[in-house]
Amino acid sequence: MVSAGTLHVISTELAVGAFAMAGVAFLLAGLASHGWLSMRRHLTLVDHVAHFALAFGLVAMPFAIVTGIQSSPGSGVDHPILINKMFLSSSAFGLAIGVLLTRRRHGQGVWSQPWGRRWQSLGGMATVGLVLITASMGGTYSRGESLLDVFNLPYEQVPLMPMWLSGLVMAVAVANMVMMRQQRMT
Amino acid sequence: MRRVITLLLVATLLLASTIGSANPNGVGEGTFDAQCGGACHGDADMNRTSASTVMVSGPATAYAGLPTSVDVTVSNIETTVSGLLGIFLLSDLSGAGDTPEDDGWDIVSNSEGGSLNYVEVLISPGQKEHTVSWTLRAPEIGTYDLHAAIHHGTQDGSGAPFFGSSIQPMEVGVVPVPENLPRLAASFEPPVVRAVGEATSVQLITEAVDSMEVEWRVSGGPVQTTTVERVDQGTWTFDLPASLQPVTVEWRAHLRGDGPDQPTPWFALQSEDPSLSVDRTAAYVQSLAMLLMFMVAFMSLQRRAGLETEATKEDAFSMEVER
Repeated sequence: MVSAGTLHVISTELAVGAFAMAGVAFLLAGLASHGWLSMRRHLTLVDHVAHFALAFGLVAMPFAIVTGIQSSPGSGVDHPILINKMFLSSSAFGLAIGVLLTRRRHGQGVWSQPWGRRWQSLGGMATVGLVLITASMGGTYSRGESLLDVFNLPYEQVPLMPMWLSGLVMAVAVANMVMMRQQRMT
Repeated sequence: MRRVITLLLVATLLLASTIGSANPNGVGEGTFDAQCGGACHGDADMNRTSASTVMVSGPATAYAGLPTSVDVTVSNIETTVSGLLGIFLLSDLSGAGDTPEDDGWDIVSNSEGGSLNYVEVLISPGQKEHTVSWTLRAPEIGTYDLHAAIHHGTQDGSGAPFFGSSIQPMEVGVVPVPENLPRLAASFEPPVVRAVGEATSVQLITEAVDSMEVEWRVSGGPVQTTTVERVDQGTWTFDLPASLQPVTVEWRAHLRGDGPDQPTPWFALQSEDPSLSVDRTAAYVQSLAMLLMFMVAFMSLQRRAGLETEATKEDAFSMEVER
């Protein structure tokens, strides 16, 4: 039987590989949409690669999370690094869904407006950055070192908000979604 | 849409396989009956006999209410894919009500840094023998049996789990405490855990003791002595140095008085990284809040960027999502 640890390695490689490809494609899409480096003719190609890779990474991510929890010693999130991993991966998840929903709604039109193209490429790359930091924290947790250790990121500090503030943020987010939906309907 | 349903179905099945895969990474230390009370490996059709040998050893006599030490040695250990070996200390092998506590024993500590009857140890590849020591406070006067059992997996991770037990139990005769026996007081509770980087001052409460000497060692390391200070007639203190990483420090006292000299068993003191006390519910709620916040913030940002176009029916990405 394949252990949860092995499954975690497989699913993590799938997710991180897909996100890494998406990151490069978002960078190229940003360049192409601005017409830099004579890349405008490649915009359609890198736009599709970026969003499909991001969507694939998003599908692979829950497998990585579940197998990670299964293979982790102890019971659940009881270490600052694990809690920060959870925060970063959920942020990446939310940002990725936002990027994909925007692309789905506006089609290739996201690249037509100056700020639209900037936010789309930066949003995609920020998602990839968050996922790569999350993966790096996994290396620090399991092996005590990772490639991003040179930046001395504060993995041990947990920025935990009070419950009421989290609830308020959720309420504002949901209200915003409803308003966006209503504006679209009208 | 059909594609999405298929994807969700496959995803659910794949996730179910990991959730339903028993506990390949162990269950951690705990208080368990033999074969965990039959919860997982109890059915004879679902396990095989381990080739390892399990032996329980220790003094044949213990004094009622005083600590004594029991060693469980597992030899001819089989290499497994995870390296995990679960070791039980038991009062019988029936699988129900057979922990040492059920016979009146009180587990003070074990050499793996815990104070429970089941431990999981990580065996290095090629390691053939491992010993776990338990320090227990003896029950009422009488004769008691102590058994040991193990369970583990296989080298390739396939097949049934393996179970093994001690061929014969260790018989312990618990006798009354002689009046003048130098001993630790029944009320003495040794510390079993401390934080890394924190020195420990241990206060010993004794009876019929005139002098003592304390030895300590890092598990498996050389034995060193430490200075003991007498606070009053039956109270003594000594310091154990701070550890720089999570290790088990063991200590014991040689008690002297009018009666025969009496060494205590080795007491284990586990140093651990300072534990994190976080409200998990708050962490999960914040996680969800961050997910929603990042999603909505990005979509709002893009709306303010003046995006007005809608996806065309020919757009490849939207077509794939719609299907």
